[in-house]
Amino acid sequence: MKLTRRDFIQATAASATWALGGSAMAAEAKKAKGMPFKAALVPRKVRPSTPAKGVWTASTCQGCTQWCAIQLFVQDGRVSRVRGNEISKSNHGYCCPRGHLIPQMTYDPDRVKVPMKRTNPLKGRGIDPKFVPISWDEALNTVADKMLELRNAGEPEKLLYMRGRYSPTSTDLLYGTLPKVFGSGNYFSHSALCAEAEKMGPGMTQGYAGYRDYDLEKTNCLVLWGTDPLASNRQVPNTIHRFHEIVARGTVIAVDPRLSNAAAKAHEWLPVIPGTDGALAGAIAHVLLTEGLWNREFVGDFKDGKNLFVAGAMVDEAAFAEKETHGVVKWWNLELKDRTPAFGEQESGIPAAQILRVARAMGKAGSSCAVWMGPGTAMWPRGTYASMAVYALNGLLGSIDVVVWEGASGPKLNKFPSTDPFVDEVAKKGYKNHAVDVKGKKDMPAFMSSPINNVPNALLKNPGAVKVVLSSWSNFNFSATGAGRWDEVMSKVPFFAHMVTNPSEMTQFADIVLPSTHNSSEGWSIVTNMSNGYGYASIQQNPIKRLHDGKQEETEVMWLLAQKLKAKGFANLADYYDTIKDPETGKSATNELEFSEFAAKFTSAPIWDGKEVQKGDAPVNGWAEFKARGMFSGARYTLKKGWGGKFKTETKKFEFYSETLKKKLTEHAAKHETTTDDILSVSGYTARGDVAFVPHYEVPKRHGSVEEFPFNFIDYKSRLNREGRSQNLPWYQEFKKVDPGDVSWGDVVKMNPLDGAKLGLKTGDKVKITSQAGSITVDLKLWEGVRPGTVAKCYGQGHWAYGRVAAKDYAQATPLGANNNEILVDDYDRMSGATARNGGFTGVRITKA
Amino acid sequence: MSKLGMVIDLGRCVGCGACAFACKSENNTRNRANGQSYNWADFIMHTEGTFPNTTHFVLPVLCNHCDEPPCIAICPGNPEKAGKGKPYKALFKTAEGITLHNPELCVGCGDCQTSKGCPYSHEKLGSSSLNGETYSVISLNPAEDNPQPFWADKTAAIAGGTSSGAEVSAKSGARIPAENVWQGGELKSIRSDDVIEKCTFCYHRVSNGLQPACVEVCPSQARIFGDQQDPNSNISQILKNEKSFRLQEDKGTKPNVHYVGKYSPRA
Repeated sequence: MKLTRRDFIQATAASATWALGGSAMAAEAKKAKGMPFKAALVPRKVRPSTPAKGVWTASTCQGCTQWCAIQLFVQDGRVSRVRGNEISKSNHGYCCPRGHLIPQMTYDPDRVKVPMKRTNPLKGRGIDPKFVPISWDEALNTVADKMLELRNAGEPEKLLYMRGRYSPTSTDLLYGTLPKVFGSGNYFSHSALCAEAEKMGPGMTQGYAGYRDYDLEKTNCLVLWGTDPLASNRQVPNTIHRFHEIVARGTVIAVDPRLSNAAAKAHEWLPVIPGTDGALAGAIAHVLLTEGLWNREFVGDFKDGKNLFVAGAMVDEAAFAEKETHGVVKWWNLELKDRTPAFGEQESGIPAAQILRVARAMGKAGSSCAVWMGPGTAMWPRGTYASMAVYALNGLLGSIDVVVWEGASGPKLNKFPSTDPFVDEVAKKGYKNHAVDVKGKKDMPAFMSSPINNVPNALLKNPGAVKVVLSSWSNFNFSATGAGRWDEVMSKVPFFAHMVTNPSEMTQFADIVLPSTHNSSEGWSIVTNMSNGYGYASIQQNPIKRLHDGKQEETEVMWLLAQKLKAKGFANLADYYDTIKDPETGKSATNELEFSEFAAKFTSAPIWDGKEVQKGDAPVNGWAEFKARGMFSGARYTLKKGWGGKFKTETKKFEFYSETLKKKLTEHAAKHETTTDDILSVSGYTARGDVAFVPHYEVPKRHGSVEEFPFNFIDYKSRLNREGRSQNLPWYQEFKKVDPGDVSWGDVVKMNPLDGAKLGLKTGDKVKITSQAGSITVDLKLWEGVRPGTVAKCYGQGHWAYGRVAAKDYAQATPLGANNNEILVDDYDRMSGATARNGGFTGVRITKA
Repeated sequence: MSKLGMVIDLGRCVGCGACAFACKSENNTRNRANGQSYNWADFIMHTEGTFPNTTHFVLPVLCNHCDEPPCIAICPGNPEKAGKGKPYKALFKTAEGITLHNPELCVGCGDCQTSKGCPYSHEKLGSSSLNGETYSVISLNPAEDNPQPFWADKTAAIAGGTSSGAEVSAKSGARIPAENVWQGGELKSIRSDDVIEKCTFCYHRVSNGLQPACVEVCPSQARIFGDQQDPNSNISQILKNEKSFRLQEDKGTKPNVHYVGKYSPRA
């Protein structure tokens, strides 16, 4: 450490008198002759100033699931700054803090700069792979040879592809093409790790199994349930932009077991006991019905106008005439009649008086009340029903398609040509093979998405199922619960090629490492998404000079790999890629960069080629103008589009009694020649009979007894997490404190001071957190933002690889902080296939380390 | 004469950190070291109350560009270098009321960081600053210390396979790869050693009609920047119509950064 001049002064100070020497003496001497203070305040002229000169160039952020249209400030081929795309109707020209990290990630010193191969055959956590640099030629020849060995042996299905972060259009050139043309049914997306259970609520009631959108401009009561959209989940810039207006004109209610950003700024904070959201939602629904606060226009009314919803009393279904909904009385009779505020308090820990107050505020706002349900509600082993219970409140309030929207559809884009002509018999056979069996079993209905976190379990059971693994922009050894299983299985995979920007945890198990571009600044693609009532397509166009030899995984690497496969006798992939042509010249690509640009150009052509006027933004005249504008927003969302019997459910109504779920479960049961009750039982749900088809409360499932593991563990996301990738940035570490209760350059588990007193623990103590899955050691922080009996820790830290900042010591594989996924048990909401990570499903014990 | 100032609306602020990152990108500030944060924009965080009646507050902080700036009073400057009869203090006021710094006259003594020099700063930040309990608006670049060590480091995690700070910097053609190159009076877009550094209200931007970076990027538009002498300016209107406060009024520094609103409606 360098001594500052002041250190020097202090080091040489004798008692209270300055004893000065050397240069410090000179400084003091200069000071002694100073002019009077007021004279020093006479304004001084300054030499001329100029702001930075550069060009704001359109791009797309992919730091969360929103995929905001942004602009990068480019000076001399370098990116320095970031902002929202000024023509975006979704983010108003702003990005959240994540966007500002793009230049830092682009220039991360720990980026993989060239392809590498492993020279140490031994694989495992903490074992140095002894990577050495190789050429792209050697790297792709090796991968192509390994792949062709499979085809030549008639077992192409032994290729496993696992997708991490992707472009929603370019993904069709890898995820959507390679398995079909090469011939493997063993390919999976990361999707089920992150959000799929939250899509069950809208999926099973409304027939819309996707992320929702919200009219925050018109929302007068905003209920943020199991989500903190000032920090994560969806449309963060739009939420930040509108939040204060809603606080000023209406009511904001935050349901979250920890004091989140939204909870800090809400009128009401409901720190629900983890996993009991269904009981709280049931109690609110009970109040809305018993106090006559439901929306008549959407739900309908009693035929004689008299409210028969009285606590504990069954209601005759014939007495009620429904409008846009199906089964409100069935729901009442099966579930809600006994879900009084007192019951809600008993289960959820939220006082009955607060439940009443909140329900009344929601009812008063009526169809201008948006219940924004997020992953905290749903991502636990029985989360499907909590998701339905919370989402169904929007039905009672009549907010559906009023302030709670399905996503607006964006502009029309070109779909890549069919792969059918390039699929041979070997590929057809391989594509039907699902030897890596993660779903479709009796106990894993997985209606939303394949549970990728089940891959290690499948491979541990059937290790011979896979010989070659490809994966892109993924890091399951870090990002998936039960992380140790991934270490075990990846150390046994015979050949693994990883397309990645940094030497991540998963990369430590790779045989070949292929450096990826950071696509927000270095890639080409068209990215689609929606928020604030608009669907949009936004460009990524590599406006900067790439400093390393990275290549975009879904386009450039695949095109080069296809050429290698063709040179070695398997031409189908390369021939297929040749069918994707520059829409202006009609030519196929002659190199990987052209292919990448042509793919973006081909996809977006309907926006700018002038053939058809698209609804939404003003017409775009040509490719150059589209690159300059960077995005196109479609027409604004149409209100009440599902009303009038147009919801995509079995009954075409909003289903409080879900015929849609009933059909799915019945079909799944029939496939396995059993009953729906049996499916519910083996999948770990408590409901039997008809209650399984209405939103209802299921008691939390918990791994570990309260006696042995007394604390509920809460995992949440940092507002600075660009998924699991930004922790290697000093700026992330420096401002980690922007997550309430967290500490910069550290990783703390937060515990209520009462529990700390009981255990004799204090802030700053090193503690060991132990679950049935494992244990981690971190610093303790006593904090009033969590209830006694619950501890909270942010996800993001705990990298034992990735780079010099994320890991405390990369060479020694020593983490900075600890990874929650090492203690979270590998479990699922089996109905959706989603990985469990919320709802307090993992019990933990905390001891002094 | 204009008098530039800033209002931060705590009701709008959500504590997201975008302003702090925009400041770091705009002004190329380095990473924390030796008790110096180099964060020209920072935050105070505070949780209070007892569960479940708990509230959490965030207060964005920066140089207050005081009317009575003790930093200027204490600054010894460099009279010899300035020349006889010339203004010699490194810290000074511009005509717009910005407290600016001339590194050419800075002797790197750090007096401005002491409690006498700035009631908002600390010579050395300890661990409490990592919690958001303390902060500093003036940071010192020690003498003979590389002021951008992260981008001078030549070590690679994987020899030949991953890059290094020095390599990224060299390949980018800039001293730091994401350098935002501007000219701000005597100020340099990257500071040298042996000088202090602090917020300039983005002098290089505001003197050219742009907003400060932290103001421009705020997704909730919580920061309002402008001329307090102009009665029609947004900032004057807000200060006239809303209850505002400044930090440590008792110190008599008369800050030009004001706060309005409440961070939490439960407070």
